[in-house]
Amino acid sequence: MSPKDLVLESEADRTIRFERDALLFTNQLYAAALRYTKNPEDARDLVQDTYLKAFTSFHQFEEGTNLRAWLYRVLTTTFINSYRKDQRRPLIADNELEDWQVAEAQSHTSDQGKSAETVALENLPDSDIKKALQDIPEEFRIVVYLADVEGFSYKEIAEIVGAPAGTVMSRLHRGRKQLREKLAGYAQELGYSVATPKEKGGEK
Amino acid sequence: MSFIEIQCGEVLSSVIFIIEGEQQALPQADAINSHLSTCAPCSAEIAHERLMQQMLQDVLKRSCDEQAPEDLHQSIHRQIRAQMAGQASTEVVTQFSMTEISIEIDEFGNVEHREIQIEQTHIQHFIDDED
Repeated sequence: MSPKDLVLESEADRTIRFERDALLFTNQLYAAALRYTKNPEDARDLVQDTYLKAFTSFHQFEEGTNLRAWLYRVLTTTFINSYRKDQRRPLIADNELEDWQVAEAQSHTSDQGKSAETVALENLPDSDIKKALQDIPEEFRIVVYLADVEGFSYKEIAEIVGAPAGTVMSRLHRGRKQLREKLAGYAQELGYSVATPKEKGGEK
Repeated sequence: MSFIEIQCGEVLSSVIFIIEGEQQALPQADAINSHLSTCAPCSAEIAHERLMQQMLQDVLKRSCDEQAPEDLHQSIHRQIRAQMAGQASTEVVTQFSMTEISIEIDEFGNVEHREIQIEQTHIQHFIDDED
């Protein structure tokens, strides 16, 4: 569809196009909204708000660009602006960019530790996975979700969350690390012995 | 090009870039590659991280695949239709109607009756711009 056609597109045609193309993502957006808001009522409202906002600004969406990424941007922005429980807490910690790489004075994991970690991950129930994801801080949770469930590249995520790519990389790294620590903790409770990243002498 | 030797710690702290296939973005990319080609423990660590990352993605995807409730699909559809109806346009309908009747009687008493009806409807749409 050329820009000229878009100008001539009637309201009814645009509505049909929106319903045909955008509503395919309702289930995906709902699953993401559940992770963002942590409860089904807010998730419903968030998805509904997202679609209403997306619809009213659909004429600004450039056909041929990534509709899914655009919808996730609307979802994430709506969540950050209207649904966060603590609006005053800044999303970006002051020291976030500087300290992350230096803090990682890692050492090698033993082979035993490696296999214990994979076995534990394989055997955890879905409920534990979701719980761990819910328990990591919001700014980490969002980027981990977008990268590892939705498969967005970190550059796409930077666009979606409106943060620099370096910040996204840092949050991704720390978010995954925290997630794995939590999962290792659950696995230990279930009786698997796991060397958590902490025990490897990571963070002091 | 000369490589500056780097320690295992430096490679391991760059693991996220390597996993994401972005190690070329790092200033020490060449040194990392050369370190990895000779250091078995670091190579093993990267392989383990890749495996863990793959597994983490698999379990996350498996766990996070909730379906939206059926009535949510419906209420989104209704909401969009209502929004469209509301924002679509203000219609101004101008209707004009006129009937012209003429009756002519000539000198022989013939009556000619003519009725002409003219109707005109004009609908003008004004798009309500919310922005």
